[in-house]
Amino acid sequence: MEARSPPGFSPGGHSGKPSPEPPGSQLRSPDDSSISVKSALIWNESFRSYRFQQDHPFNPRRLEMAVSLIEALGLIDGVQHRMIAPRTATDEELLRVHSPEYVEAVRRLSRRGAERSEGEQWGLGTEDNPIFVGMHEATARVVGGTMRAAELVVSGEVDRAFAIAGGLHHAHRDRASGFCVYSDLGAAIAWIRETTGARVMYIDYDAHHGDGVQGLFYSDPGVLTLSLHESGRFLFPGTGFIDELGEGEGYGFSLNVPMEPQTEDDSWIGIYREILGEAAAAFRPEIIVLQSGVDAHVLDPLAHLRCTTRLFEESVRITAEVAEEYCGGRMIVTGGGGYAIWRVVPRAWTLVWATMTGQTVKDPIPRSWLDRWEEESPRMLPELLRDPADSFPPVPRRTEIEATNRRTLEALKRTALPLLNNRSRPL
Amino acid sequence: MLVRDHMRREVITVSPDDTLAAALRITRGHRIRHLPVVLGDNDLIGILSDRDIRLAMPSPLTVPDSEQLSYLEKTPVAMVMTREVIAVGEEETLEDAAKLLYSHRIGALPVVDASNRVRGILSETDILRSFTRILGVSRPSSRVELRLPDRPGALGRALIILSEHGLNIMSLILPPNRVDGMKVAVIHLETIDPREAIEALEAAGFEAGWPSLAQDLRKLDVNLA
Repeated sequence: MEARSPPGFSPGGHSGKPSPEPPGSQLRSPDDSSISVKSALIWNESFRSYRFQQDHPFNPRRLEMAVSLIEALGLIDGVQHRMIAPRTATDEELLRVHSPEYVEAVRRLSRRGAERSEGEQWGLGTEDNPIFVGMHEATARVVGGTMRAAELVVSGEVDRAFAIAGGLHHAHRDRASGFCVYSDLGAAIAWIRETTGARVMYIDYDAHHGDGVQGLFYSDPGVLTLSLHESGRFLFPGTGFIDELGEGEGYGFSLNVPMEPQTEDDSWIGIYREILGEAAAAFRPEIIVLQSGVDAHVLDPLAHLRCTTRLFEESVRITAEVAEEYCGGRMIVTGGGGYAIWRVVPRAWTLVWATMTGQTVKDPIPRSWLDRWEEESPRMLPELLRDPADSFPPVPRRTEIEATNRRTLEALKRTALPLLNNRSRPL
Repeated sequence: MLVRDHMRREVITVSPDDTLAAALRITRGHRIRHLPVVLGDNDLIGILSDRDIRLAMPSPLTVPDSEQLSYLEKTPVAMVMTREVIAVGEEETLEDAAKLLYSHRIGALPVVDASNRVRGILSETDILRSFTRILGVSRPSSRVELRLPDRPGALGRALIILSEHGLNIMSLILPPNRVDGMKVAVIHLETIDPREAIEALEAAGFEAGWPSLAQDLRKLDVNLA
């Protein structure tokens, strides 16, 4: 069966759109099949220790499955595209975004026999964030993975890095929330800001609002946060509305596009392309951090969107184009949400990796991979990497949903873009 | 939910001898629509709304002569202010204040102490903002609706189920309206994943919806499972 590829992304690439090449720059056209992006996938088995409980939805099995699929498809060649081990984040790195009291509490609660009732004030010991032995170390390793990704990209060792275990976008300064204990994203962004002073654009297309990261940089004009998510009227955490624009110096540097439940690929991708392009043109980021939660997929049990794998492939491609245009290609990608762990997450993150590294990948999933996981899977595993175009029935209210999303975008652009244009640092 | 927790304490007032022109500049400059009129030690003697001022102005449909234009500069506030002021005390409840505004169709309530001194002001906008906060979220949560029989113990049983699932309740609103002997509670649960709790509520005979009963989005994906 012929894979459905979005225009301009078919093997060989033929979008016809010539990419501008600024003089003296190494910028490459992402449409050019000869591009050679250097990239790193941050992974080793130690990530499996960020694990709450047997049946908890944030299960490290999703990471193992994704990485093994990436390997089975030959998308790690050990030369251009390498696998690099995480490290553990230092206290100094954690303390850039968390209070000393919180870090101390997490550490205390991680020990065997810790007094658990203390957890509540820190958002720990709840249904979402149960306390487990070794929690501090496991979470510090997730942060270390994203730190490693940031270091590799900032130093120029690679152009793109994928911290697949990262993306804990709900963690707050002194509170765990929504499966997230420490903010790997926050720690990496704060480190980039402190060591390079570069303008960071944080983009988040997880189905849930990226409230933690937004909150950490709410008053920082050096970090533009942009989150597209299912509206807080319907979904956790209940925030991420268009009037959340930042505060103080950072006013105008937080952007949110709350989407209607049942939003499909076309509506989401169109809005993503538009707001990303216009926001980047105003802000002129020097590095991009992308949280790639894959729970906007129609099969995800924790959200109500109806997108397919095309969303992730297209979104990463659009983001990479922006990274090429403004950031010399520099892009750090993390994982995030994604709870259809058997049928969606491995395929989605494989497509994210292939797209961000400029590798073409065919649709059939290797038999060896299916054999390895099928036995454990409670459902039949899909045999194609991309959802075929007619996989899911169209939504009856499509026109209405698209119109509502469009109105939301227009309202955001009316208030936010003039602010962002006026307040962004002049060249 | 007391007036004192929701009122604005920085009140801009005028004196009865101030001119309408001065009052107009204040309402426009501060973008406010109500000015309590006070004497001496903040004693409330009247209220001036932007409507009172506008009624005293020349019609925009006629070309005003210079004499008409000078009216605003000559007329004291005392001439057009409302003397029978509907005010509210700090210790009264927000819901009573909202009812006063609504039933008298007015836009703002001066808040006074026992000696009729102005302590604050509560406008329609302040009340709307407060209700928006009460109905909204202050912490990450998931919204769930629950239909309950209107009899003792029904809510209690539901809450025990939520507590057995270790879920904290960020807010709970139970409006008194009944339809066929049932009420609908809106509950914000501090969790990203309310599925198990909802299933347990349903197993116990409750009708629940995530995020609402009318649009329970879980049901949309049934044909895909």
